[in-house]
Amino acid sequence: MKFSDMLRTAFLNLWRRKLRAFLTVLGMVIGTSSIVVMVSLGIGMREAMIESYSQMGSMTNITVTRWSSSVDANGNYTSTEKDLTKKTVEQFKLIPGVEVIMPRITTWGMVKSGRYVADISIMGIDTSVASEFGITLAEGEMPSARTTGGTYDIVFGSDLFQYGYFYDPNTGKQAVDKDGNPKVTWDSRFQLTFDSSNIYGNPGDSMEGRTPGKMYRLNATGVTAASGNEFSYYCLMDIEALKKLAKENKDFVNIDTSNYNEVIVKCTDTDAVESVNKTIKDMGYGTQCLQEWIEQSEQSIKQTQYLLGAIGGVSLLVAAIGIMNTMMMSIYERTKEIGIIKVLGCRMSNIAGMFLTESAYIGLFGGALGLGVSYTLSIVLNKFLAQSGMHSSIPLYLAFGAVAFSILVALISGLYPAIRAMRLSPLAAIRNE
Amino acid sequence: MEQVPLIEVRNVTKVYHVGSVDVHALRGINLTINRGDICCIIGRSGSGKSTLLNVLAGLEHVTSGEIVIAGKRLDKMTQSELIVFRQKHVGFIFQSFNLMPYYTALENVAFPLSFRGVPARKRNALAREALKTMGLATHMKHKPSQMSGGQQQRVGIARALVTDPEIVFADEPTGNLDSNTSDDVMNSICDVMRAQNKTLVMVTHDPHMAEFADKVIQILDGKVVSIEYNDHSDSKKKTDVKQGVETA
Repeated sequence: MKFSDMLRTAFLNLWRRKLRAFLTVLGMVIGTSSIVVMVSLGIGMREAMIESYSQMGSMTNITVTRWSSSVDANGNYTSTEKDLTKKTVEQFKLIPGVEVIMPRITTWGMVKSGRYVADISIMGIDTSVASEFGITLAEGEMPSARTTGGTYDIVFGSDLFQYGYFYDPNTGKQAVDKDGNPKVTWDSRFQLTFDSSNIYGNPGDSMEGRTPGKMYRLNATGVTAASGNEFSYYCLMDIEALKKLAKENKDFVNIDTSNYNEVIVKCTDTDAVESVNKTIKDMGYGTQCLQEWIEQSEQSIKQTQYLLGAIGGVSLLVAAIGIMNTMMMSIYERTKEIGIIKVLGCRMSNIAGMFLTESAYIGLFGGALGLGVSYTLSIVLNKFLAQSGMHSSIPLYLAFGAVAFSILVALISGLYPAIRAMRLSPLAAIRNE
Repeated sequence: MEQVPLIEVRNVTKVYHVGSVDVHALRGINLTINRGDICCIIGRSGSGKSTLLNVLAGLEHVTSGEIVIAGKRLDKMTQSELIVFRQKHVGFIFQSFNLMPYYTALENVAFPLSFRGVPARKRNALAREALKTMGLATHMKHKPSQMSGGQQQRVGIARALVTDPEIVFADEPTGNLDSNTSDDVMNSICDVMRAQNKTLVMVTHDPHMAEFADKVIQILDGKVVSIEYNDHSDSKKKTDVKQGVETA
């Protein structure tokens, strides 16, 4: 029997019992849409989670630190340290999946502008790859590595002026005028020091016998863009220039200038993160990546998703039983007809195929209509749930998956009836009632 | 006419188990039906004639014995093989017509061809041809409910012949028809079988119907009682008279 004939015959068989077919399809519609809506809420949860993480930084970045920790069989926590130098960066570059690498060191410092001061965090970066890591400037240009004449280039963090970090150490007043506009802007004159006695003037006992820290002229070359990523909090300097400063001020700044604090590794895409992360970990470094956090969050979201899916699954199960019932009824009614077509030379596989096709139609129509209902429900839910933080999202794979799944469920439900139909005796055709 | 055996039945028995009682429907049947025979199996109800037809058509298995049709052992075949065998060699005419009520005459006749994978266009052409042969050119689009019993049975005959089988089995083909229509239908069947040189095996309890056949096999209590041959020229004459009536 030709496949097209089978499709046509099966459709006509359903069409002959329109109401019953419709009711069975309706069950499938409810089953499919309940499972799709439930799953879509789970997917919405996951999307919201990922979105909130991606605001914290790039998904493709891995932050490598010198310390890795492990827990042994006895539950003892051990921490090991490893050098993180230019050499290591070269090694990282060879790992497949690594796109670009930015070493960085971070420290704090004090910036003085007229009578106002601010405590700042400074990040020394490789400015040539900064833009690859989403470090962009709102104004000006990247700091150069020049250190001549005790003048250093710096880019200020966008928050620094906006939120009034600058204050008068004598009065404690913030550096804003009566309209709330900042009095210090990036084109003001700045000095940088790491010695707090230069600002506050009262060296503590521990400072006895130390040479006081220098004041350095700062040349502000720009302001970072308020991009809301993990770097926007920092002021930026060239990593070599900052290293030089740190060396000169090692009495005040306790950083190991022979090592990088951290190395940020950018992977070619999110799929590469896992393997790159593992390779670096195996080399003995500590790593952090959003991907790992997301995976952990995903574990807990998955449980909720399974629960939601199961709730939806119950109605699909009921619908599946409905299909089975409909098909069984249909076989009892059509015992004679099945006998006749067997006598007329319809193959066993064709009979089973015809009944399975009927089931598949119910699954197809139920799934497709259910998907329509799901999309409508999803829109309605998003309108009314927007406040509660719930979100329903139906990605394309869910849409196709749902229809395919409902056809599969229908086929499984139709399997037993189809086998029953196949085994019916052709003698039913001969009997006269 | 050359005598080529098409159906050979040897020592066939069939036992039904009804509760704890064994019913011996066939008790050792031996017979041969030749290619081109118009053959009638006649017997009272309960004689085993219908069972014989069923086992010949491969609708049920024999308990013992051999059935050889067109060189193939039917008693050794599985149900799937029997279906394939029916597709290739067998047409079937039912007592209660068994047309699909929601199909037109044309669709009903084309239906068995769809199981054989014949494309729709060719299917319809063959079905149209078969219906024309049965004198139903004007009723192709009619549903069974819009046709008389005689017309319905003609559709049934067309359906049995459309697949060009070697053998046509007919189970009381006139059982649901009145006597006038019965004669017409019997004439139609026998004429078309002779014209197309097909073998017909018909089961009936009505001695009058048996007169249409060339070979009459009488069955009683599961055994062949007698095999008679009707005079060919006599039945021919009868046919002519009947056709004259029909065309008038």
